[in-house]
Amino acid sequence: MVYLDEDSAMKRPKISIEPDPVIEAYKKGIDRTLVRQNLRLTVEQRIEELMKLQQFAEEVRRAGREAERQR
Amino acid sequence: MTDYRQLISLLAGAGVEFILIGGVAAVAHGSTRLTKDLDIVYRRTEENVSRLVRVLAPYHPYLRGAPPGLPFEWSERTIWNGLNFTLTTSLGALDLFGEITGGGGYDELLPHSIRLHLFGVECWCLGLERLIYVKRAAGRPRDLEAIAELEVILEERERRS
Repeated sequence: MVYLDEDSAMKRPKISIEPDPVIEAYKKGIDRTLVRQNLRLTVEQRIEELMKLQQFAEEVRRAGREAERQR
Repeated sequence: MTDYRQLISLLAGAGVEFILIGGVAAVAHGSTRLTKDLDIVYRRTEENVSRLVRVLAPYHPYLRGAPPGLPFEWSERTIWNGLNFTLTTSLGALDLFGEITGGGGYDELLPHSIRLHLFGVECWCLGLERLIYVKRAAGRPRDLEAIAELEVILEERERRS
């Protein structure tokens, strides 16, 4: 089973994060629907998705390089 | 491509004391952003440095971006003579940090970390609030969007609880 250890999370010292106007401006551009979708996954599934995305990005880069060579 | 599954399993399976930080820690917390390397803070004790060197040796660690042929010896002495290392290995890109800005070393970060159970092993991952704190402390302009997303994740998490 994959989980975040809630006990260790409870014991962690609290950190206060003050709002920063620049970061607040950047937040407007964040797609919360994607974040919510990701939060429904387990940690292991999130890292597996990252590896798939990395593989996809590599493939697109390779295709781009190949297209450049053929021009 | 970095094989996160293999790297994490390898390090944790060998008993290396480390904490996941950076992009992979962000992904563990729910970030949707692509990252290309595994960043860890390792504990600087004799036993741990020895374990780290031993377990990574078969995967040919070398300084990332360094010209081929540059003399680099993957050894305990090298680790003790340095602090942070950006490496390439046959399992992918791995960044080792003895300390990080705004967070300190392993022992300072551990109380702010959470235990993850993944890929059949257990490892520590920097907690979301501390991850935001250290990314803010690093003060890199390219992190602004990543910090904004982490803060959105924190808000979403608080909204759900």
